[in-house]
Amino acid sequence: MAIVEKQPLELGTADTVSYAEKPLGVFTRPQGGRGWRDWLSTVDHKRIGILYGVSAMFFFLVGGVQALLIRLQLAVPDGSVLSADVYNQVYTMHGVTMVFLFIMPLAAAFANYFIPLQIGARDVAFPRLNALSFWVWLSGAIFLNTSWIVAGGGADCGWFCYAPNSGVAFSPSHGVDFYAIGLQILGLASLVSAVNLIVTCLNMRAPGMTLMRMPIFTWMLLITQFLLLFALPVITVALFLLMFDRVFDAQFFNVDAGADPLLWQHLFWIFGHPEVYIIVLPAFGVVSEVIPTFSRKPLFGYEFMVFSGIAIGFMGWGVWAHHMFVSGMGPISVAAFSLSTMFIAVPTGVKVLNWLATMWGGKIRFTVAMKFAVATVAMFTIGGLSGVTHSVAPANTQQTDTYYIVAHFHYVIFGGGVLGLFAGLYFWWPKIWGHFLSERVGNWHFWLTLVGFNLTFGPMHILGLQGMSRRIDSYARGYGFEFWNLTATIGSFLIAAATALFLWNVFKSRRDAPYLPPPGPDPWDARSLEWSVPSPVPVHNFDTVPQIRSRDDWWHTKYGEDSTGKVVQVATAQEAAQTGEATGVHLPSPSFWPLSVALGLPLIGYGLIFNLWFALIGALVTIGSLYSWALEPVDDPDAAHDDHDDHDDHDDGSNDRAVDNSDSNEATP
Amino acid sequence: MTTGRIVKPVAALRRSGGLLLTAMGVLIAAGCASDAELDTFAPQGPISEELHNRGVLPVFWIAAVVLVGISIAMIYLIWRNRVKNYDTDDEWPSQTHGHVPLEVGWTVGFFLTMAAVAALMLWSLPTVNATEDNTMAVEIDGRSVDWEPTVVVVGNQWWWEFRYYFSDQVDLAELRAHGDAKTLPPADIVTSGQMIIPTGEEIELIVTSRDVIHSFWIPALNGKRDAVPNRFSPWKIQASSPGLYFGQCTEFCGLSHSRMRMQTVALDPADFQAWVNNTSLDAVEPVDPEALAGQEVFAGICTSCHVVEGLNDDVFERADQASGAAPNLTHFANRSTFAGGIFNSYNADGSLNRTVLEAWLRNPSELKANYIVPGEQYRGMPNLDLNEAQIDQLVAYLAGLGAKPAGWIIEATQVD
Amino acid sequence: MSAETATAGSVTTSTVDADNHGEDHGHASHATSTGLSNTKLAMWVFLGSECLLFGGLISTYLLYSTRGNGRTLPADVFDIPFTSVSSFVLLMSSLTMVLALSAVNRGEAEAGRAWLLATALLGAVFLGGQVYEFTAFVREGVGFTTSPASSAFFTLTGFHGVHVAIGIVMLMSLFIRSVNGNLNQRNSETVEIVGLYWHFVDIVWIFIFTVIYLIPVN
Repeated sequence: MAIVEKQPLELGTADTVSYAEKPLGVFTRPQGGRGWRDWLSTVDHKRIGILYGVSAMFFFLVGGVQALLIRLQLAVPDGSVLSADVYNQVYTMHGVTMVFLFIMPLAAAFANYFIPLQIGARDVAFPRLNALSFWVWLSGAIFLNTSWIVAGGGADCGWFCYAPNSGVAFSPSHGVDFYAIGLQILGLASLVSAVNLIVTCLNMRAPGMTLMRMPIFTWMLLITQFLLLFALPVITVALFLLMFDRVFDAQFFNVDAGADPLLWQHLFWIFGHPEVYIIVLPAFGVVSEVIPTFSRKPLFGYEFMVFSGIAIGFMGWGVWAHHMFVSGMGPISVAAFSLSTMFIAVPTGVKVLNWLATMWGGKIRFTVAMKFAVATVAMFTIGGLSGVTHSVAPANTQQTDTYYIVAHFHYVIFGGGVLGLFAGLYFWWPKIWGHFLSERVGNWHFWLTLVGFNLTFGPMHILGLQGMSRRIDSYARGYGFEFWNLTATIGSFLIAAATALFLWNVFKSRRDAPYLPPPGPDPWDARSLEWSVPSPVPVHNFDTVPQIRSRDDWWHTKYGEDSTGKVVQVATAQEAAQTGEATGVHLPSPSFWPLSVALGLPLIGYGLIFNLWFALIGALVTIGSLYSWALEPVDDPDAAHDDHDDHDDHDDGSNDRAVDNSDSNEATP
Repeated sequence: MTTGRIVKPVAALRRSGGLLLTAMGVLIAAGCASDAELDTFAPQGPISEELHNRGVLPVFWIAAVVLVGISIAMIYLIWRNRVKNYDTDDEWPSQTHGHVPLEVGWTVGFFLTMAAVAALMLWSLPTVNATEDNTMAVEIDGRSVDWEPTVVVVGNQWWWEFRYYFSDQVDLAELRAHGDAKTLPPADIVTSGQMIIPTGEEIELIVTSRDVIHSFWIPALNGKRDAVPNRFSPWKIQASSPGLYFGQCTEFCGLSHSRMRMQTVALDPADFQAWVNNTSLDAVEPVDPEALAGQEVFAGICTSCHVVEGLNDDVFERADQASGAAPNLTHFANRSTFAGGIFNSYNADGSLNRTVLEAWLRNPSELKANYIVPGEQYRGMPNLDLNEAQIDQLVAYLAGLGAKPAGWIIEATQVD
Repeated sequence: MSAETATAGSVTTSTVDADNHGEDHGHASHATSTGLSNTKLAMWVFLGSECLLFGGLISTYLLYSTRGNGRTLPADVFDIPFTSVSSFVLLMSSLTMVLALSAVNRGEAEAGRAWLLATALLGAVFLGGQVYEFTAFVREGVGFTTSPASSAFFTLTGFHGVHVAIGIVMLMSLFIRSVNGNLNQRNSETVEIVGLYWHFVDIVWIFIFTVIYLIPVN
């Protein structure tokens, strides 16, 4: 991965290097500006966003390799690339990796980086908790993947891991243990992050930024965080039950003792369906920023977009059992869930038409970001409509658990989610790194991705309707599956080639950056607040916190309308943008404790699986770190330049004394 | 204003519109594949036809119309509004923020569209769920009974069992009260891999499982139904004409999920009665010496899991399998498939598929992945370390386990 | 563990105005968009999430309450009078929590300290009761691994017990802070936030007691 910060941002006082006595005396309080170690202790939302993004892209490659293995196995009938056992592990881990280790953290990367910038805040509400979220997530991700090494293989029960196939009797290897515990660790990270970002969105908006002036991306992320907040505890319950069954011989899914396997399905899908919206809503947010910017028009029907997002968020809770139409529920519940599923298409359709209406009468500039955004709308529309076809419960009995569904959700998640996030990468890259991604390479990346994507997943519609079951490690000759499977495999390698091009683009654009004009604060003539600060963003974000007077406040700073309604420029971006040269901005101090807390969690996990002594050590590490964290003031007293009075007790929110901040952060080459 | 290094739009997105249409085209063409035995667009019974015509096709058309509409709008917008020269065209268009009547309009439009889909759903729902109270006369043990055509379908890792109750009929409520798929009441006919049904009758299926969740699916005859342990779920199928209809387990059920297949053979009522007559008897006693030797081998080794009625039904103990059962082999030669529906028992010319059967007896794990861990319950057939002589004897014995000559079932499906 | 503070809230709105440093020491609450402090809002949001956690566990028990695997059901060994008393003890701890907060708010440090200790003690009595109840049930043949019903029962009440235990740790931390003289009117919000948590745990128990213990299973 070539995403490496060139010049580490300096945080805090570079000249004040004092090591005072610290709680428990384990770590000296990190002071910032000390190279790579600074990344371990950072509480800067932008750096945490970058950490999320880099790790997510790494796991995208891991999940991608797994996808290629799947496609190689299925390229021809009776495939023999993988054994049935390994295939089941690979397809399970492909799903888990792509959902929990790629799309969600990539969305979290954008959320971390841009929510504070879009609402005019200097950081999230709880900077150290934010660091905790990342490290816990990373420790969970690594824990999950160590199952390949220490457990002899990954989980082999599918990402949905239906009981009772997930029980010890039917899945005796430790793979499922890693799934059950790993997902709990990841869930904890997302839960902490959800609380943090919700409070950030609700509480930290710049003066004048009412909820209905909030950028649409932030809105969609806020809805996503609420979905996470309420969905995660449900999967947590399910995972606890599974873990208790497997580790402590509980009887939750033991059918011989009278358990009902559908309990797992209900709990899983009450989480699992909102999860779909958790995946696509951030991408919808990105698309809703990119399309207006490059159409040079405000988002059409902002209120409708916000409320349709909220409607999707609400209705997303009432549709989970459409994953279970063939499980043997009664016809009344089947009909009810079928109906609710259909009507969630209404707010979704509204979004699509509002995006088109945004483009209507616009002046569209097809940058790579815009191409990805438009492709997102197109591909998501296909995925949405194939979803409508199997929302019809009787038709669903023919289509569910076939490749038709695989096609459907890849159009939704890859077409709607991943393409949208790629749009975000091209859109915000100059803001994050201070240089553009190459548009020329980006074009190739886009077209290869789009063609490869359709070639991979388009044929799966046909395969599914021809009756090809999901999750089969091989298929026999003579069912008519050969041609389209081979096509899909070829398509998947095009996607791989496209991804390689993207990585090349990352490398190349960084290499070429010194020889090209810097993007400046607002390269796309965009609308929201993050474009009012320099690129890359200074460590304190805003020199002065802006006063918000309208929606798209930054755009209105640059443009007005004359009496005929014609747009006239009132200030250039360069004039209106902040310089990023403020000093004396108070920022929260870095801390090693979030990392330290996170380190204990995988140990607890290994302990539950192999030897409880590990768990004890892990618990001591985590609890000890939490204790030290609690005793550590948010702001390092030694980094403070002014005298302080008696309320430096750690538990209240009153000890915000200012810190000199000599920003040597102009990483512009 | 900086616009960065924007490359002139290549072919813009015009081509993506073409892709959309292509995708839609192949979607519709999906039904045309003729060699696809699992094709969901080729219904062959009244239930699946009605389901297809009410619940599937109209909704596909609605989706197609919406997709074409949105695609055309998108392509037009892209073509109409794209900036042709990035360097000279620096105008700002008029800043429309929204249009409430328009937005309400398409909200209502989508609502009405979905209401139409909902109506189609409600219209097609009874086709898969309602159950007729049909009966057919079946002769069993010399007397005629009014059979309410019902088959109890039991999923196991990784094969299907089909149980027929003629003389002492069961119904759903009774089975639900009884509750345990591992100790079902004794049936007149127990077969596996291949379900035989009479044409023209609606067959009620009661679907359950002995271990994990499976899903029973014969696409040509109806949609699928999960086989959930501790649950008995009603389902139904009906075939219009005699034939062989294929299926595949569709709920992931562990290692050999992909090798868990099933067939439904529809026979006209006379042939069905003939099948009942043959199959409700005890196993055929072998006569030739090799088959007799095979019976001895079978009784010594195979009966720890498998049942052959007349040989070990009274001394049978539960199989050493997680599901507690293995296929009932009483009429092994009466079926045209074995090993969970993945191998043909007979070649095209009607002769025994000896090669595969022998290979299977030599080492089943090589042909079908399974979990055989010493000391634990098996899932799948273990390697029995048989020598070649034993294998030959067993094949001779198994080939004789059927009252009718080999392959008659396939012939019967081709009469029509 | 409410150590994460609301500092960043005031960071956002503090300007670079160098004179501002000295004045910005008060509560962060006035500076936030909603008027609630970040920490308090976070607690509310977190408790929203907790509702779903207990919702899932309670649903699981309700589904499984009669699935005894042919063994004794938890419902058959409930000792309603005993649990009623311990429930009453927990209920009373909410009252002492309220008194603790109001004492701290009034600046009566010693009274506040006493009520905090009383709350923690009442919680501990409840936990002790639960431990006794669990051992009694196990002795009567209803263990964690007996049946789906018993697994669900112990998981639900166990999760609740862990929540009570965490609450006691938080109360005792407040108590120690108070002893050290670090708990006063200015930071009484911490007490309020811990109180929110405590009341929530209490309400959940009332729900569990009603739904699980008092409504008979058939």
